Amino acid sequence: MIIAEQKPLQEIRRMISPYESVLIVGCGTCMTVCDAGGEREVAFLHNALRMAQAKGGNETHHFLEFTLKRQCEPEFLEMLVDKISDVDAILSLGCGIGVQAIAERFPDTPVVPGVNTSFMGISREQGVWDERCAACGDCRLEDTAGICPITRCTKGILNGPCAGTKNGKCEANKDMDCAWVLIYKRLERLGQLEKMRRYYPMRNFRAVPRPKRLVKTPVVLGEDNG
Amino acid sequence: MYHPVSGNVQNFAVQRIEMPSRDRSFVPPCQAACPLRMDIREYVDLVAQGRIMEALQVIRSGNPFPSICAYVCTHPCEESCRRSQVDNPVAIRALKRFALEFGGDRMIQVEARTEYSERVAIVGSGPAGMACAYYLRNFGYPATIFEAHSEIGGMLRVGIPRYRLPREVLDVEIQRLIKMGVEIRTNTRVVSLDLLFDMGYKAVFVTIGAHQSLRIGIEGEDSPGVIDGATFLREVNLGLKPSLGENIAVIGGGNVAIDAARTVLRLGARKVTILYRRSQAEMPADPAEVEQALEEGVHVQFLVSPTKIKRQDGQLNMTCIRMELGEPDASGRRRPVPVEGSEFNEEFDTLISAIGQAPQTPGDFHVRIGRGSTIQVDPVTLSTNRRGVFAGGDAVTGPATVVEALAAGRLAASRIDDYLQHRYPSLDKGGRETLVGNLLPKTMEMIEKIGRIEAPLLPAEARIKEFGPIELVYDWETAVNEARRCLRCGMGAEILFQDKCATCLTCLRVCPYHVPYLDTTGTIQIPADQCQACGVCVAECPAKAIVLRKPYDRRHVSEELDHVLKSATESKVNPVIIGFCCQYGLFGTGTLANLWRVAKAGIWIVPVLCIAKVEADHLLRAFEMGAQGVFIAGCGEQCARENTVAWVRNRVQKARKVLSEIGLEPNRLQTYVPSATSANPAEWLDRFVEQIGGLYLASVIMQEVKVDNR
Repeated sequence: MIIAEQKPLQEIRRMISPYESVLIVGCGTCMTVCDAGGEREVAFLHNALRMAQAKGGNETHHFLEFTLKRQCEPEFLEMLVDKISDVDAILSLGCGIGVQAIAERFPDTPVVPGVNTSFMGISREQGVWDERCAACGDCRLEDTAGICPITRCTKGILNGPCAGTKNGKCEANKDMDCAWVLIYKRLERLGQLEKMRRYYPMRNFRAVPRPKRLVKTPVVLGEDNG
Repeated sequence: MYHPVSGNVQNFAVQRIEMPSRDRSFVPPCQAACPLRMDIREYVDLVAQGRIMEALQVIRSGNPFPSICAYVCTHPCEESCRRSQVDNPVAIRALKRFALEFGGDRMIQVEARTEYSERVAIVGSGPAGMACAYYLRNFGYPATIFEAHSEIGGMLRVGIPRYRLPREVLDVEIQRLIKMGVEIRTNTRVVSLDLLFDMGYKAVFVTIGAHQSLRIGIEGEDSPGVIDGATFLREVNLGLKPSLGENIAVIGGGNVAIDAARTVLRLGARKVTILYRRSQAEMPADPAEVEQALEEGVHVQFLVSPTKIKRQDGQLNMTCIRMELGEPDASGRRRPVPVEGSEFNEEFDTLISAIGQAPQTPGDFHVRIGRGSTIQVDPVTLSTNRRGVFAGGDAVTGPATVVEALAAGRLAASRIDDYLQHRYPSLDKGGRETLVGNLLPKTMEMIEKIGRIEAPLLPAEARIKEFGPIELVYDWETAVNEARRCLRCGMGAEILFQDKCATCLTCLRVCPYHVPYLDTTGTIQIPADQCQACGVCVAECPAKAIVLRKPYDRRHVSEELDHVLKSATESKVNPVIIGFCCQYGLFGTGTLANLWRVAKAGIWIVPVLCIAKVEADHLLRAFEMGAQGVFIAGCGEQCARENTVAWVRNRVQKARKVLSEIGLEPNRLQTYVPSATSANPAEWLDRFVEQIGGLYLASVIMQEVKVDNR
């Protein structure tokens, strides 16, 4: 799940200040789950912006709100078509992907981001999220007992632990578990400690071309007799 | 200081997502158990909020004679109340009595207009007959009640003792019937139904009750000094004072036996003994009344049955035999079996036999009689074998309860209406699904245990001196506290917009009662029979997909807030302070609500049903519309729920963050939770008002300075 947090109100107000009529667009999937841009947050932001304007007294914005099921699908974005005709800008509470999807679909309407897209992670408990995946495109979790050193080790090293580990905690943050200690303990538990002995060559992140594209085409080798 | 932007008012109203105002709640078990299907949950909830007059309206709409039920109802609702799974059932009958007494029931007038010319005769003036007449008049039919005795009321008059049902209460209801235009003919025994049809009545409702006592069937039963319970109670209730002697025995274990024994005590007998052939657990009488009778000094001998009565020197010499309990019989109770050789003799002055009653229908009625001398009717249409003749009440069911008789009378009225209008009988309007199912242990565990508060009784010594009513009515505070125990079954949360639900599991994580769960397909479910309707998930759901099944229609927080804001703006009083106050409990009652009102002017209260239902949006909205201060007042330690305040504090923090981001003092938004240690609400509020007033004054000065500078 993509985790994000809403931008400070001041920043949002600064971004929308040139536009009179603003459509606040929420996202019904990840942003709803991480409480950053679901229907409730859209309504709350709407109220906060209106209230800020009532206090200021100088601005005369006009707000509309709408929450899409998902902003990253072109079909869902079609639902905005008749809503943006007299809108000066869109304030998207989708993740960075949603903002860009809107920008692509509506080339003539400015779009501003209402959230800071933070990471991909899991829910710890109500209202707490932890990062778990960096989307590196080269998953090594098989070797590291299902614990990702890229995201969970501060240094992201592939052959840990480093010398900074102390009592199972990281030298960068005494409250944070050392990923490599976790990996060691779990490998031990699984009886796979030999995996610790292996050396993993450094990865060349520069070689990974950006932006990535994934094309899912079924490829079946063999002759076609039809 | 800022001023409300008038354009935004419209904006808000148009853009708010329309919540369905339809009542999607389930029928709670109390309502399902009530023969009259009264909306018990609704009126108990209204009492909890201190809205007694509205509670009375709800009660009146579902019951023709609620003041009678308030005294004598056998309250099957309480037996099925799910609160008994947690601790004890809600004292529904006593709450009804409270609502009637405090809501001003005696002032209520009823009216009826005659719309049809077909006259209906009602034979018998008991609860069934009275209810039938009431509803027939409501439909617009002229109705006549024929009563053999000198006073109307049937068993309510001649059966139930005055200490249980004061006659003034009955008389008030009868006066209402007369005002509605019901013709009443007392001292008129109907001997033939043909005569009624000859007199021009188009339909007849036979509700003659079950006044004929059953015989014990032992030797000497007809001796002088042996009297049956129904006759005894009738004589006493019609003002006679039978001479009974000092030492009296009552045979039987039903309500009539208890009534007779307690009446005898009040007539001044020295010793009263009830002889019952089973044990206390099998007694059909209301356990509370048995308890009260014991308190008053009635003796009870269990597992004893008379076998012979002999009259000797003005005394009754009764031979009894001891019993033991054997196998369960058809009624499910254990059958008493005589213990051989355990006979013993006892002497009494008078013997009252109260082992049951049966109807006695005159043969000239020509209606088909079934088992136990009852009149046979079609269960759906209540029609007998004779055209135009309907029957109901004890005459059909055998001795039963007042509320069942009222229900029968109501049903008969609508069936007679169908008959006279040549309509196919309309089916019962049930429609809504009945809520069954018990509370799960994990839900039950989280519900705070608050014991039932019984209505106060007069002390036993005072009770037996006279025939005055023995049960007192709750005071305001006790009634509200008792009503708050209601679990409001079946009006909980549901995921109304499944397409919006992102299965984020917020509801599952925030529910104080662990009610929502993930089913095997990974869909979140909120089982309606477990939900306690606290509203935390409704206010927390990030997709706004959850609503309460019963949306409190016009009491919805947003609408109430809009209404209050409108009045506040119109009043032009400054500074405006908005308070969201819990309506359950003492804020709802006059006590504290008045405190808020008499505090310095400009305070506007938005009543909410538990502060957990106030969303952060509502707080901002109040500020946006010009409030200089906003506070949330919960009910504190009296709260029947756990951790509501924690959720409210989170939302207050969220709204405060916005306040400080746009340059308002966060202290303008505060939470007040009364507790033993906190300041009293009036003092707290005065301080808050002063604080806000200071901020307000400062902002006015600032504004003037600004204006000067221009």
